[in-house]
Amino acid sequence: MVACVLIPGFELRAALRARPSLALRPAALAPAEGEEPLIGPITAAAEAQGVKPGMRMGEALATCPELVLVEQDPSAAEQAWEEILRRLEDAGFEVDSGDLGCVYFETRGVERLYGGAEAALERALAAVGSAWDPRAGAAGRRFAALAAANVARPGQVLIVADERTREFLAPLPLALLPLAEQRRRELEELGVRNVGELAGLPGGAVAERLGPDGRRAWSLARGRDRGRVRGRRAPAELIETLEFPEAIGNELTLRRALAVLVERLLGRAERGERFLRKVALSATLVGGGSWRRQLTLREPFAEADRLRIALGPKLAELSGPVLKLKLEALELTESTGQQLMLVRPEGDELQGMLRDGLRQVKASTGEGGVCTVVEVAPWSRIPEQRALLVARDE
Amino acid sequence: MEGVKEGAHGGTLGSSVRSAGRLNSPRPVQVEPGLDGTPRRVNRRVVAVVREEWRVVDRWWTDEPVQRRYFDVVLDGGERAVVYRDERAGGWFSQRGV
Repeated sequence: MVACVLIPGFELRAALRARPSLALRPAALAPAEGEEPLIGPITAAAEAQGVKPGMRMGEALATCPELVLVEQDPSAAEQAWEEILRRLEDAGFEVDSGDLGCVYFETRGVERLYGGAEAALERALAAVGSAWDPRAGAAGRRFAALAAANVARPGQVLIVADERTREFLAPLPLALLPLAEQRRRELEELGVRNVGELAGLPGGAVAERLGPDGRRAWSLARGRDRGRVRGRRAPAELIETLEFPEAIGNELTLRRALAVLVERLLGRAERGERFLRKVALSATLVGGGSWRRQLTLREPFAEADRLRIALGPKLAELSGPVLKLKLEALELTESTGQQLMLVRPEGDELQGMLRDGLRQVKASTGEGGVCTVVEVAPWSRIPEQRALLVARDE
Repeated sequence: MEGVKEGAHGGTLGSSVRSAGRLNSPRPVQVEPGLDGTPRRVNRRVVAVVREEWRVVDRWWTDEPVQRRYFDVVLDGGERAVVYRDERAGGWFSQRGV
């Protein structure tokens, strides 16, 4: 069985650990700088006053004038989440961390240890700690487990039997499905209000109307979820920190500080000759907030220049002067060698590599980031009429 | 684009591809011309040499004719640039892929 432990509003709870008195008052997680002014998770007191997560900030403050906006603290949230994952791992669970506040694991290996799936889930909730109000769900499939955890009350375990999965999912709201807001609204306008109604539609029609995302949501709604649970690799514990005597806002100085951190991190004896696979750069900001960016390297390496080039642009995203800069190696490769190519790729393999590269560019630049040049009038004497840039669909 | 009619860049292309970007679209550029109309400075950079000059007169049979005077120049730093003056709407533009 796949189990899911969920902590709703995890980022807000993590940010409130430094200000526990706010937990009982109307409070909401403030949007990050540069993002749309929509509030994040809210406290129960704010909910009682009519505030809803995802509301526009102005609307939320008009609804509840005493609402306190809590600044995001991604670094503290990441640290708290890591502590929870480690407690779960210590209890014997091989965790597959989704977003912050959501973790999956297979119960098969631990059922005998704890005397059944329910007892194992109760142990998992205890490992997380009741202060976080975690809830657990288990089912044959990953999505059904997530849905069960969403439905469970704080501290409760909800197990859905395989044969009852579709029946269980049917009355649940569409908000549970990984669908864009616009698509969800489109479905609601068509009269589809819950997961069961979506599952009842013909798959081809859903795919035609809503595209691949819609088709995937439809598959999930029918309980056909192929998502596997894979235990995470043990995190590398290589951290380098630089504290500044006074707040630094100058990008050049920060780049120099980053260069020092990179040198120190790569020089750590514990790394051996292994390459970096995943790194995180975080900062403590003036005023108590924090900033964090995680980067999975396309190809593992351990060259200082490349790492500086990969991380340097992230510094431009900092939202304020920095008191402390931290560089973490989150994942290292197992081996110390680098696989070289024996035969140069060609044909289908080369095409596949090219497609893969283009997909990555598209993922980082958004729609329209990858274009094809289409000649339309190569004979024209007017240069801009000779060719068009057309966005690539694949 | 300032100073240039849509037709000069739109041409005969159908509405189905209107949303696609154009390769080598002209960009407005600041040019100080001499008395004879040849560029002396491009974006405040001194023009070292005018390599070539030519005219493009096209689409005169339509409502949106094109009439441009092109200059292929080398700037004082050694960079090459192709600029043109739109002789109907006025204004200077730079263009690649010419």
